[in-house]
Amino acid sequence: MDISVYAILLYAGMVAGFVVVNLALTHLLSPNKRTAVKQMPYESGMDPVGDARQPFDVKFYIVAILFLVFDVELLFLYPWAVSAYIDDASGVPAGLRDTVFGVMLVFMATLAIAYVYAWRKGVFKWR
Amino acid sequence: MTLNDWIILLLAMAIPMHVILGACAYLILLERKLSAWMQDRVGPNRAGPMGLLQPLADGIKFILKEEMMPGHINKFLYVLAPGITCFTALFAFAVVPYGPTSSEPGVFPFIIAPNVDLGLLFLFAVGSLNVYGIILGGWASNNKYSALGALRASAQVVSYEIPLGMSVLGVILLAGSMNIETIMNQQIEHGFMGWNIWYQPLAALLFFTAAMAESNRLPFDLAECEQELVGGFHTEYSSMKFAMFALGEYVHITTLGFVLSCLYFGGWHFPWIATAESAYPGAWAVKVLVLLTKVFAVLVLIQLLRWTIPRFRFDQLMGLAWKVMIPLATVNVLMVMCFKQFGWDPMWMLPGSLAIFICAGVVGVQSARSGRSLAAAA
Repeated sequence: MDISVYAILLYAGMVAGFVVVNLALTHLLSPNKRTAVKQMPYESGMDPVGDARQPFDVKFYIVAILFLVFDVELLFLYPWAVSAYIDDASGVPAGLRDTVFGVMLVFMATLAIAYVYAWRKGVFKWR
Repeated sequence: MTLNDWIILLLAMAIPMHVILGACAYLILLERKLSAWMQDRVGPNRAGPMGLLQPLADGIKFILKEEMMPGHINKFLYVLAPGITCFTALFAFAVVPYGPTSSEPGVFPFIIAPNVDLGLLFLFAVGSLNVYGIILGGWASNNKYSALGALRASAQVVSYEIPLGMSVLGVILLAGSMNIETIMNQQIEHGFMGWNIWYQPLAALLFFTAAMAESNRLPFDLAECEQELVGGFHTEYSSMKFAMFALGEYVHITTLGFVLSCLYFGGWHFPWIATAESAYPGAWAVKVLVLLTKVFAVLVLIQLLRWTIPRFRFDQLMGLAWKVMIPLATVNVLMVMCFKQFGWDPMWMLPGSLAIFICAGVVGVQSARSGRSLAAAA
């Protein structure tokens, strides 16, 4: 295995240790006196009405879906960006560069059409 | 691996982690001092000379303060959320170089995990996990302020993820690699005029803005909005758990400073002082210092921006991400693509970026003035 794999795993353990120890330390060292008022949700001194977990605006779902579309599109772009214009064996061969360029233009155009469609549908508009 | 290698590996991990944690404590002090200075106040000055012991006092307070757990929460997620935020922020630093990197055995690597070819992807993947901390924290708190703040924050973080990822595509195309070390070293080989900022100024601006929005810093702190939402997703948090959220934010902007310096400002390179040729004794220290100075400049800029630009409204915030930054980032990628394909002189990328930026400005102003903007048409 590569050294960086060890390093990342070790570092993850180190950071997780830091987080857990800190949370545990506060839990053990701090005083804990519960009262009924302290346990209430904080709403600027008003008595809370109803539950906080209510249905919310559908806009947030649409943004999440749109994010998914664009993020996946971004994932397609990364491998292309790395390999498109490098001259060693791992890159796109020089003879194929024009084809790849054309394919990418088509890809971007498709994306632009989807983007304009979403815009015209009013997805980016918050009322 | 020999014992020596392991010691070096552990040191290369432990030093930056603890330096960052310490630096974050002092960044909070610096932020308070700068705020005080910009608002004509004195700022913290009681603990130690010039308030220099304030972070220490804060730290002790955070550990010894009563750990409040409201009665209406989902306990497991409530404790998990600040942990996730802090963990992801610190963990994302694993692939960020903090000095003249090397991957030879037995040499101090100046990076936690050397030679990760997917460095940038790792950084974005881990860094964007902090949205889980936000949404879990807001949901588990079962508080209306928290729920609203968490919703807003997750929509914001998710939206700015895309311009963030897209703005670096230009740099990746130029370097042909996603390894941050490789990108940095390529700039260093070409000297001062090789810094990516000369070829990708627009992308650097977009990256900076998007990364600031990712870390929920003012002017993008819609998640917190003290006036409207009290504290947003961390309203119900106190003591160390609150500190974890704050720590996560500061570690995030520190990482932003490092990545911005490494991707666009030549990493540890500075003309005459620290170049690829400089091999005088102690050169590594100078190189680290140069990089840290750049990072520090970015951090001070972020803190000054906090009191310079007013907070966005939520529709403006989403509009900026979706209607401005994503098209701009895409056009920027197209530009770099054409330069690479047709073999044009990269020198013309700077005027090209400026032209795109000015065109976007003109289009924006025109559509706003004519009152029939594309947004209104939709």
